Amino acid sequence: MNFVPPTPQEIDALSDEEFRTAVRRFLADRHPPHLRNPPKRLHWGEARDWYMILARHGWLAPGWPRQYGGMGLSAAKQLIYVDEFERFGAARLPDHGIVLLGPLLIRHGSDEQKARFLPKILAGEHIWCQGYSEPNAGSDLASLRTEAVLDGDEWVINGQKTWTTLAQDANWIFLLVRTSRTGRKQEGISFLLAPMDSPGIAVRPILNIHRHDEFCEVFFDNVRVPRGNLVGEIDRGWSMAKALLGFERIFLGSPRQSAHALNRLRLLALHLGVWGDPVFRDRYTQLALDLADHNALFESFADRLRRGETLGPDVSFLKIHQSELFQRITDLMIEVAADHGGLLDPIDANPDLDPAGLFLTARPATIYGGASEVQRNILAKSLLGLPS
Amino acid sequence: MGVEAEKAENIRMIRDSASAVAKRGDLRRIRRLRGTSQGFDRAVWQSMCDLGWVGLRVGEEQGGAGFGMLELCALAEELGAALTPEPLIPCAMAVGLVDDSVRREVLAGTRIVIPAWQDHSDYRGQFDGARVEGGRLYGCKRFVPLALGADDFLVTTPDNPVLVSRQAAGLSVEPFATQDGGHVATLRFDGVLGEPMRQDPVRALEEATLATAAYLLGVIEGALALTLDYLKVRRQFDAPIGSFQALQHRMVDLSLQAALTRASVESAAAALDGGATGDALRAAVSRAKARASDAALTVTRQAIQLHGGIGYTDECDIGLYLHKAMVTAPAYGGGAPHRRRCSNLLNEQGEL
Repeated sequence: MNFVPPTPQEIDALSDEEFRTAVRRFLADRHPPHLRNPPKRLHWGEARDWYMILARHGWLAPGWPRQYGGMGLSAAKQLIYVDEFERFGAARLPDHGIVLLGPLLIRHGSDEQKARFLPKILAGEHIWCQGYSEPNAGSDLASLRTEAVLDGDEWVINGQKTWTTLAQDANWIFLLVRTSRTGRKQEGISFLLAPMDSPGIAVRPILNIHRHDEFCEVFFDNVRVPRGNLVGEIDRGWSMAKALLGFERIFLGSPRQSAHALNRLRLLALHLGVWGDPVFRDRYTQLALDLADHNALFESFADRLRRGETLGPDVSFLKIHQSELFQRITDLMIEVAADHGGLLDPIDANPDLDPAGLFLTARPATIYGGASEVQRNILAKSLLGLPS
Repeated sequence: MGVEAEKAENIRMIRDSASAVAKRGDLRRIRRLRGTSQGFDRAVWQSMCDLGWVGLRVGEEQGGAGFGMLELCALAEELGAALTPEPLIPCAMAVGLVDDSVRREVLAGTRIVIPAWQDHSDYRGQFDGARVEGGRLYGCKRFVPLALGADDFLVTTPDNPVLVSRQAAGLSVEPFATQDGGHVATLRFDGVLGEPMRQDPVRALEEATLATAAYLLGVIEGALALTLDYLKVRRQFDAPIGSFQALQHRMVDLSLQAALTRASVESAAAALDGGATGDALRAAVSRAKARASDAALTVTRQAIQLHGGIGYTDECDIGLYLHKAMVTAPAYGGGAPHRRRCSNLLNEQGEL
């Protein structure tokens, strides 16, 4: 382990290609080998070591400005960072604090909130979860009903969140709450922060059809948090949360999931002896072409970011196409796997030969991050100008 | 100006000047040319040559513009959006393959040379069908575009290509009308005398294939623009039909195919301009042509559907886009043959 990862300051002096090489070396040298390409989302206990390695070298937050402890990378280098991490199969961390809350506090938080919370994210002391969706507010998130009422110097929260990723591992939660019932539903939503050990918070993990419990329900029964835990202005939470996903939207359409699945499809076909079958090859080749064209489309958006342009609504094409391509690939895997596709465990205990597992993982890809149907509704209006 | 900025400026100029000749949204000229013997307008062809279009890819020292594939594809796209029938792509393929004196005439617009490379109908055997024996040409070429408007044909053989006058003795030209109002022809050679040319046509054929993919991108964009307008205007059930969710979703999906086609064509053109050769070149071209061919048929088929009953009338312009896709999607190979070629070019990771 002779390789010393460059500091954010040293990275400034590196060309994009030199930085790419440095990221690859960092991953090869420091990423725990047994955590590569985890079949399921890691819990905090499993991910902590890798989190702390990144924290120690100041490599946790590539998109945060340096003054807040981030790497302050250019758009080009941020794209390289994400690309190399995904290509390597690096384990995804409990990263809501890094990716979602941090940027929101940087933009909208008070100085006190920034000083209080940002360093603890980078130290792995605060692990955050995101309380947005509710049983009656999924695609229609703005109809959320979890309420916060001001009582003296405290907010009193009542309600329920669902699909809260890794809530059982988190010690803090950021949530969208209803603070007004007059006016449009989007205009009565605020952004609150709460410690998960507050009296009145209960967490119930949800078992999914992949037999994993990465999502939870979180119940709020008269939970009290200090007034100063409101981020930004009251009733302005919706627009703050929406504005967050600017640059990051490109990553919802990253090609890595499909590239990984296509590779596993090839390995499966080789193992089952169908790789040479011309009918299979034609269908496989179509998927390989779809992936290559997706890469070209992704790069066209990445080029815009590198030139300092903002992304338009058409960036949503990426998420729609990638998630559906991922599913088409796993559909062919299941078809080719035949009876093996009905087994619980990977073939020959080989994690690379897990058609059932990858097929199940692909199910929610077209639902989370904005369901495909809703994305199409939005694109029809914002991109094509079609009438409501 | 940097290289990238210069290219962008070239492309902007090309798109601007194309709009004078290839008017998007005005298809009356196209309708008038349907079924005419040549299928295109020689005077318009002259304008295109005067604008330097046929020599876009020819080196400056040989009288051309010395531009790259990105520029040629931008031009082809503009022509496709207006369903332009003039044989720019075939002639741009031929102009780099003929000798100096012939090339000067082609660039000037006074001589139309159309390649006759194809024998089979699925992009196989590009040099089959015709051969030279004892100094004379024998055999057959098929699907030669707009042959009745050609002055000469450039016939590929297993050896050098041969330049043959349309009037040559022993040459018969049998035309077949095509869906878009033009024609293709079967050429039969029975001891025809021609001039051997010295350039290898392989690269030029790849470029013509990619340019055709770009032309199809234009057809796709034109069809979508027409359809989007219709959805906003047509009312049924007391609402613009563009407000119906099923149609909105379909339009989004078709627009996504257009975006993928653009990314595929432009990245392939950039790869060629960046020096790609051999397998990398073939993979780029085949990927783009497969996407463009499949997407053009999908989009134009769905565009008819989205127009409802009037989409099936000749009076409505949308049918013209379907006709063009039917002719141009299989030209230079459609989805299946290009996918087959890609299948043989996958790397060790099974990626293209």
